[in-house]
Amino acid sequence: MFLESISTLNFIGQKFADFLTYTGFANVEWANIIMILVGAFFIWLAIKKDFEPLLLIPIGLGIILGNIPFKAAGLEIGLYEDNSVLNFFYQGVRQGWYPPLIFLGIGAMTDFSALIANPKLMLIGASAQFGIFGAYIIALAMGFEPNQAAGIAIIGGADGPTAIFLSSKLSPNLMGAIAVCAYSYMALVPVIQPFVMRALTTKKEKLIRMEKSREVSQTERILFPIVGLLITTFIVPSGLPLLGMLFFGNLLKESTKTTRLAKTAGAALNDIVVMLLGLTVGCSTQASEFLTLDTILIFVLGACAFVIASASGVIFVKVMNLFLPAGKKINPLIGNAGVSAVPMAARISNQEGLKADPHNYLLMHAMGPNVAGVIGSAVAAGVLLGFLS
Amino acid sequence: MKKYILSIFALITSATLMAQGAHDFKINEVYVTAPACCMQADADHAHCDGKAPLAEYRDEYGEAHSWIEILNTSYTTHDIRNCYLTTDRAVLNEELSAPERIAMMSLIPKGDSRTNLGGKQRITFFADGNVNRGTLHMNFQLDPTKENFIALYDGNGVTLLDSVTVPVLEPGHSYARVYNKEADAYEWHDAAPNEVTANAPNAVGGKGNDKIAEWKEQDPHGFAMAIISMAIVFGCLVLLFVFFFAFGWALNRIAKLNRVKAIRAFHESAEKIVIMAKDGAETKGIEMENYVAVIGMALHEYMGNMHDVESGVLTIEHHNSSWESKDHMLRHTPDVHHNN
Repeated sequence: MFLESISTLNFIGQKFADFLTYTGFANVEWANIIMILVGAFFIWLAIKKDFEPLLLIPIGLGIILGNIPFKAAGLEIGLYEDNSVLNFFYQGVRQGWYPPLIFLGIGAMTDFSALIANPKLMLIGASAQFGIFGAYIIALAMGFEPNQAAGIAIIGGADGPTAIFLSSKLSPNLMGAIAVCAYSYMALVPVIQPFVMRALTTKKEKLIRMEKSREVSQTERILFPIVGLLITTFIVPSGLPLLGMLFFGNLLKESTKTTRLAKTAGAALNDIVVMLLGLTVGCSTQASEFLTLDTILIFVLGACAFVIASASGVIFVKVMNLFLPAGKKINPLIGNAGVSAVPMAARISNQEGLKADPHNYLLMHAMGPNVAGVIGSAVAAGVLLGFLS
Repeated sequence: MKKYILSIFALITSATLMAQGAHDFKINEVYVTAPACCMQADADHAHCDGKAPLAEYRDEYGEAHSWIEILNTSYTTHDIRNCYLTTDRAVLNEELSAPERIAMMSLIPKGDSRTNLGGKQRITFFADGNVNRGTLHMNFQLDPTKENFIALYDGNGVTLLDSVTVPVLEPGHSYARVYNKEADAYEWHDAAPNEVTANAPNAVGGKGNDKIAEWKEQDPHGFAMAIISMAIVFGCLVLLFVFFFAFGWALNRIAKLNRVKAIRAFHESAEKIVIMAKDGAETKGIEMENYVAVIGMALHEYMGNMHDVESGVLTIEHHNSSWESKDHMLRHTPDVHHNN
């Protein structure tokens, strides 16, 4: 009886010790702790500093979730383990389903009328894409392969879904770092861009008042997604998943006959996809994959890409002004909005404009290049995909 | 009748689809193992030339054999099961029946998930004459001392999907199908031992279909990529700009023209009324009271009290009057006085 009790106690002790080997405490490494702190920092930024909370909260929690240490015992719980729930969610990122769905939502929420009313603003959206290719040149110089360089450089488009879409196709091993970097810099738009804008504009230029945009007819609004789709995808068919969904969403909105669908695409569906995308992208940054020299280089390149993109937009407006008659000149403060961080970049233009002249509202003018930037970055992604896939 | 037509249509469509799937399979690379004499460490025969490969692609049993790599050239998943491989040229005789041909072929068996090839995926079969070793083993061998004809047939044993005649190769070499960009066509090349790539893309003598390698070699600094891509991005957005600039201009012009037309129509109708009034007063003899009322109404309209101009469309302005006042139209409830 006594021996039996001893053996039972031994068994309990053994199983308890066994259990302890499964806990996070037994498997934790310093890298996990660092990543958990990074995740907590993202959540703090989102809640305390109000930096893109819709993105940073899911990503921040995802980083924590992805770095909870556990014993690899075939429990089917990890993001990279077949048949785990997280792995199912992650397929949307890996196979590239989520970014086009987000573009559908963006299309359904975006009003392109500022762009249609003043179509020359499209050129600013195109010029800001130089951030992508400038970063591509630097990334190649740093020793990245062309496909990796392209995946990193797309951060310059300031478009999270596009960055995820392209990196999932061209450089899947860097996708986690690229996605986190893209979203981090999007959240840091209010910090990075004003510095570039102030450095590149004179007091006189900041005071330029732009003429009021004309009214845009319903016909033009309906035609825009159809013509936009035809022109862009005929030239760059590889951009079809992103551009097709963007213009589809916009047609749902502008047709006025599918308001219900547009509302779903822009609200419920978009929210669901943003949640899953943010969470799984965060999860994919497991310490072993994320804490590498490449990640640091990606963050450096991402900053370069953002600065180049913002600067090229502002400089392009200054060049345009050389050819525009007085009264038709464009305020260079809207040049930064050529990146596709909608509507943060346009909001920065407006804030900087108001600082120079409290009665100069640039928001609607800046929305033109801002939405053109969405199209521009999707086209740029399509071009890179076509060349390098 | 409709049902029959639809069924026939569905049958034809599905049959075509199956055929299309099978036609996407191409023989991609063939490796003929060196003669046994060359595999010896001290091989000194003239044809061996000391080039016997040290490492060859090996089967599940760790043995090296001749092999045939087949590529699914499409971007869709297709299953190669039930297709046939053969080295017997006699199958080309069109007078032979399907069973006679099939008897000369080696079947790719079903029931193995490896035969289900994703887009641009490859499968390699061993020509070791030993089918009982598994799905990937064929019932024939390749002869390194002479030309080898290899043909891939569809499941019906009649439709030839692809064929190649492999010349006598040096030991360790393979015969690979490579994309020639200049000719925009695939060609067969003798691949040196360091270019033999079982289950991987072929690249022989710098020719291949590896876009990344090409960009790396031709554009190491990324300037060409930047110039081309920026030109394409600008091209797309310039075209959009031109379209909407022209369209907006055209719409503005049409709106202006409509406004001018409406004003002209007003003037013309006013002139007509004046003429009619003049004519009426002088010749028609209409009663003066009615006549004055008509003129008064026309003048009232002309002065713009009743109409406004909106994109050339006339609308009657809304006027509140006692006639449509709800307060006047509703029946008032009489006050009830209670006398206590």
